[in-house]
Amino acid sequence: MRALLPLLRTGAAAATCLPRGASARPGPRRAMALYRTEERGQPCSQDYRVFFKNVAGHYISPFHDIPLKVDSKEENGIPTKKARNDEYENLFNMVVEVPRWTNAKMEIATKEPLNPIKQDVKNGKLRYAANIFPHKGYIWNYGALPQTWEDPHQKDKSTNCCGDNDPIDVCEIGSKVLSRGEVIHVKILGVLGLIDEGETDWKLIAINANDPEASKFHDIGDVKKFKPGYLEATLNWFRVYKVPEGKPENQFAFNGEFKNKAFALEVIASTHECWKALLMKKCSAGAISCTNVQVCDSPFHCTQDEARSLVESVSFSLNEETNEEEQAWYFLGK
Amino acid sequence: MSGFSSEERAAPFTLDYRVFLKNEKGQYISPFHDIPIYADKVRHPSMMIPLHSIQGDRARPYLKKKKARWISPLHQGEGEGQMAPIPGHCMADPGHNDEHTGCCGDNDPIDVCEIGSKVCARGEIIRVKVLGILAMIDEGETDWKVIAINVDDADAANYNDIHDVKRLKPGYLEATVDWFRRYKVPDGKPENEFAFNAEFKDKDFAMDIIKSTHDHWKALVTKKTDGKGISCMNTTVSESPFKCDPDAAKAIVDALPPPCESACTVPTDGKIPVKLH
Repeated sequence: MRALLPLLRTGAAAATCLPRGASARPGPRRAMALYRTEERGQPCSQDYRVFFKNVAGHYISPFHDIPLKVDSKEENGIPTKKARNDEYENLFNMVVEVPRWTNAKMEIATKEPLNPIKQDVKNGKLRYAANIFPHKGYIWNYGALPQTWEDPHQKDKSTNCCGDNDPIDVCEIGSKVLSRGEVIHVKILGVLGLIDEGETDWKLIAINANDPEASKFHDIGDVKKFKPGYLEATLNWFRVYKVPEGKPENQFAFNGEFKNKAFALEVIASTHECWKALLMKKCSAGAISCTNVQVCDSPFHCTQDEARSLVESVSFSLNEETNEEEQAWYFLGK
Repeated sequence: MSGFSSEERAAPFTLDYRVFLKNEKGQYISPFHDIPIYADKVRHPSMMIPLHSIQGDRARPYLKKKKARWISPLHQGEGEGQMAPIPGHCMADPGHNDEHTGCCGDNDPIDVCEIGSKVCARGEIIRVKVLGILAMIDEGETDWKVIAINVDDADAANYNDIHDVKRLKPGYLEATVDWFRRYKVPDGKPENEFAFNAEFKDKDFAMDIIKSTHDHWKALVTKKTDGKGISCMNTTVSESPFKCDPDAAKAIVDALPPPCESACTVPTDGKIPVKLH
């Protein structure tokens, strides 16, 4: 039942800022917020949705309408100088779903038109990540790369498992706790080959390009060097995070080894190709909603007005659920 | 525990922030002096929750006046495990050299780490089962850390002594020592030290220490020892020369800034995890 007074909260949640350096080295311009979010319904409810809008105020899909790679020319319409070093090449957009140290399992709703962020539901109840001692919630800012898709009909040659039917996941390891729905630029550093309940579920390791220490991080070895213990904790977290729900420990490709940036970039490229095939209807979408406003060649493309109608037809209520489970620590031993 | 309530004054995360405690009649009391140490016949001490921080919260207000402090979150274990002084009636005497640690007391009520699964609220008074104790020496002062569990914890019946913590929450005690050893390092201070090679002593030992600090407190409020800057004002300790009536207590609180209406934000310092090698 649609509320008479819809709770609409908008946020400038998506500033992609790359500060101009004080030195002679040319830096990218400070970008204005390119994406905004609009919340509907109450957080901690099954109706809660976070929709995305572009700078013109038109609804977009964070799955399909945000470019995978950061290309200033495309996003701002203003040509930039070619980057002098790879500091500013190979930057990707990341959609933040779960801020570090929170528990709610928020995700891009792949099956809903315009793919807002919502909280995952299982057995009729909202899902929360368990606190795996000594951690609280997710131990990185967690999210996805837009315009990627892990195809459930294709077996990945590294994992020998089919994809999990979702965009590729990212663990952002920078020092700032980000906000739900924020769109940031990240540097890719490596990737972990998680096999989650028998499905391929790559976990990219990345750092916010705007992190004060970002210039120190170029590859997976830098994470080991500057944040010792973080990768080990990450591996353990993904291995055991479903055990409190009664599921078994997860498995990994490559014996749980973190692969380097070059390997990660190949994985990204491959999931991007799968996504393109999806949007061009070259493969079966299943229940995935491919509705988009920016991919003009896609048979699923719609107009801005159609997008707005879709969003406005989404109903929500003012209910809230409470969750006590988030507080407990699970001691899984070692 | 029924009967007690709290009242905030000034904005959280500012130097003026205070949380006052009131009894069941709504009269202001001292959580240090006016709450009985033993809550029931089974000798479960009362415990007041922070004043110090709660799990996941990086702000750390203190009982006494100090510069507003932040705990930088360490990588292993986000935020502090719950801590609080045992109120009423416990005191680590700064004039007294502890025979176990060789150090003087830290001039505070004794600290407690409550290990149950519920995140409590600041100012809450709960009953706890004492399980053991750690002898920390913080910047040269004895700073005992009692390990306890909320009697209302779903699992409380399984916890009776320190070895139950090792068995049922493996890694928690190791993480606790580690945390206390290193928690001031991000502020540029050295690592802390411990008596007994950082071994956790058992419940009986802990109860002896608690009794001893309780005796120190009695001496304090009956003016047998020098308070050294401690305010001994109370409303319930009849043999104390510092006892005052509820109206005098109210006058003190009324003179302070009222509760803060506007939202307050945590400074960004509180969000940066520090990796300690």
